[in-house]
Amino acid sequence: MKVLVTVKEVAAVEDEFQIAGTSIDETYLEYDLNEWDDYAVEEAVQLQEAGIADEVVAVTIGPERSEETIRMALAKGADRAVRIWDDALEGADLLDVGAKTAILEKVVEEEDPDIVLSGVQADDDGFGATGVSLADALGYEWAAVVNHLDQDSVESGTASVRRELEGGVEELTDVELPAVLTIQTGINEPRYASLRGIRQAQRKEIAPKTLGDLGLDAAAVENELELTDMYEPETESDATYFEGGPDEAAGQLADLLREKGVGAQ
Amino acid sequence: MDFALSDEQKQIKEEVARFAENEIEPVAQEYDVEEKYPWDIIEKAADAGLLGAHIPFEYGGADYGNLESALITEELFAVDPGIGLSLTSTSFGADAIMEFGTDDQKERFLEPIPTGDAIMGAAISEPDTGSDVSSVSTQAEKDGDEWVINGNKMWITNGSIGDYYVVLCETDPDAEGRYNGFSQIVVESDRDGFEAEKITGKLGIRASDTAELILKDVRVPEENLIGTRGMGFLQQMQFFDETRTAVAAQGVGIAKGANEAALSYAQEREQFDRPISDFQAIQHKLSDMHTRTEAARMLTYKAAWNVDQGADITKLASMAKEYASRVAVDVANEAVQIHGGAGFVNDFPVERFYRDAKITQIYEGTTEIQKNIIARELLGKGY
Ligand SMILES: Cc1cc2nc3c(=O)[nH]c(=O)nc-3n(C[C@H](O)[C@H](O)[C@H](O)COP(=O)(O)OP(=O)(O)OC[C@H]3O[C@@H](n4cnc5c(N)ncnc54)[C@H](O)[C@@H]3O)c2cc1C
Repeated sequence: MKVLVTVKEVAAVEDEFQIAGTSIDETYLEYDLNEWDDYAVEEAVQLQEAGIADEVVAVTIGPERSEETIRMALAKGADRAVRIWDDALEGADLLDVGAKTAILEKVVEEEDPDIVLSGVQADDDGFGATGVSLADALGYEWAAVVNHLDQDSVESGTASVRRELEGGVEELTDVELPAVLTIQTGINEPRYASLRGIRQAQRKEIAPKTLGDLGLDAAAVENELELTDMYEPETESDATYFEGGPDEAAGQLADLLREKGVGAQ
Repeated sequence: MDFALSDEQKQIKEEVARFAENEIEPVAQEYDVEEKYPWDIIEKAADAGLLGAHIPFEYGGADYGNLESALITEELFAVDPGIGLSLTSTSFGADAIMEFGTDDQKERFLEPIPTGDAIMGAAISEPDTGSDVSSVSTQAEKDGDEWVINGNKMWITNGSIGDYYVVLCETDPDAEGRYNGFSQIVVESDRDGFEAEKITGKLGIRASDTAELILKDVRVPEENLIGTRGMGFLQQMQFFDETRTAVAAQGVGIAKGANEAALSYAQEREQFDRPISDFQAIQHKLSDMHTRTEAARMLTYKAAWNVDQGADITKLASMAKEYASRVAVDVANEAVQIHGGAGFVNDFPVERFYRDAKITQIYEGTTEIQKNIIARELLGKGY
């Protein structure tokens, strides 16, 4: 069984930074593996350690610099990686879900995995849609925001998962493989990369591919989105203190919640 | 000339720093106060595959060199020197086995280290033998196919919790020449006649275990002799470049930790209606601390890099060890000063760094001994 994990290097700003137009200078950025992807990698490696998966392949869309980060997925146990980059991507200031889907779809066709694990969302642009959009394009089943995966079920060709819905509600469901699961934080405890793993990862393959290699052209990744503005949202905090006994305080809280629109029908 | 770390080296640093921040920082004060060995952290580090960095690949290690080991040491000591030493010292003495051991010895003594199944130590110092290593008096006598060992070893890191020790013994007291007649013999702690007494009340690195070993008619098989009989002292000396560079890295780590704490406190603490970092007196301290730390770091990396190239760098290793340990002590002192009263209690890590820093000027050859060595090399005098 083969597991494909989509991973992304994300940028985080330092405490102090400056915005120049619609970008932030490199000096204020720190790059790291997207937090959700760390959990997806761990889930994949656990499937491999349990003898269920034979191969774990990581795929990323990113420039050469991202190899340093992607290598951490290899250090944690992924067998090899595919990195897609192209001059046509270099120019885009934002890669929308459609473009990512078009690229990943081709990679999935090439790799033919039994399961695709993606993070629920990326820490930077936060679309939270790529995994499901990819499943849709491929005609795969999917489960989004998975916070538990029954590993034994995977062996039998159906993934029994627990999904997190809104409002603290969870859903147990089965999806038939091949499928895309978008992995939620907390599903496992991501490991540290071992020193030996880091050492071995330097010799693992990160295969660079262009759009052309995947049989795509620039038109396939044309964006429908344009980045028009970038600003720091103002942070506000607002605290209300209720006086009086429990009954009175509860009444005031109920009024406030109603006023703010919570529970409105 | 290339001053940049490789991607791999950056990955090591980041991952070790992440481990230290998540697993060590929250418990550092507790282990220091209670002066107890951090078994939990050792186990976590073993699970995470962070132990025995320099053990060869075939014996389960990562086969890393001195520069990578220095980076690991720096990151761990920047968070907590006591636990940092506990982690980096589980393979103390392994160098001799790696260089001079037989395949069988390597399998027995190296393989259990990276997995955390065994902890080892190097036992050189004695109650009457410190700076003058050639005065070692622990005796090992051959009896049939066994060595019978008698003597006391003092200040032994991991002494009361370890599984085996590379012990420097006198095997041939009649050998000619001051440095001949010694041998390195592995002594397991479960042998009859082996006793360890934990030394408590340490000023710093209190999580690290230190003990006196009392060896009374301890019998070990002759296969426990490492390398060549009679050459133990000279074998031991071969690793001073490595071990001194490692202590230099400890100093750099302590200075780094103290610097970071001081810099952030200086920006938070306000007096006279402004952060104390607005005062030039504080600014100059911070500048000086960071500059000297960077200088110590460069000296340490240069020493480590040179050892990895196979160069003989007696003088450079002593310079790095002496300077980095002095910077650690000075910087930790200034970091406490910047914290004022808050630095005098253990609510902040600088109080611990201040106490922990001192050991780096004492073990692996005191500051005075390092200066003797540097001068001896400069003046071209033999030892
Ligand atoms: C926490 C801790 C852990 C240790 N771990 C280990 C270990 O794992 N294994 C091990 O074998 N040892 C270990 N040691 C011992 C350590 O290496 C010695 O303490 C150190 O070498 C100094 O020896 P000493 O304490 O006997 O001091 P001494 O040699 O008695 O020195 C006392 C003072 O005299 C000075 N002095 C001595 N000779 C000269 C000279 N020729 N010129 C100028 N000044 C001189 C010294 O610099 C020092 O200031 C450890 C010590 C401590 C405190």
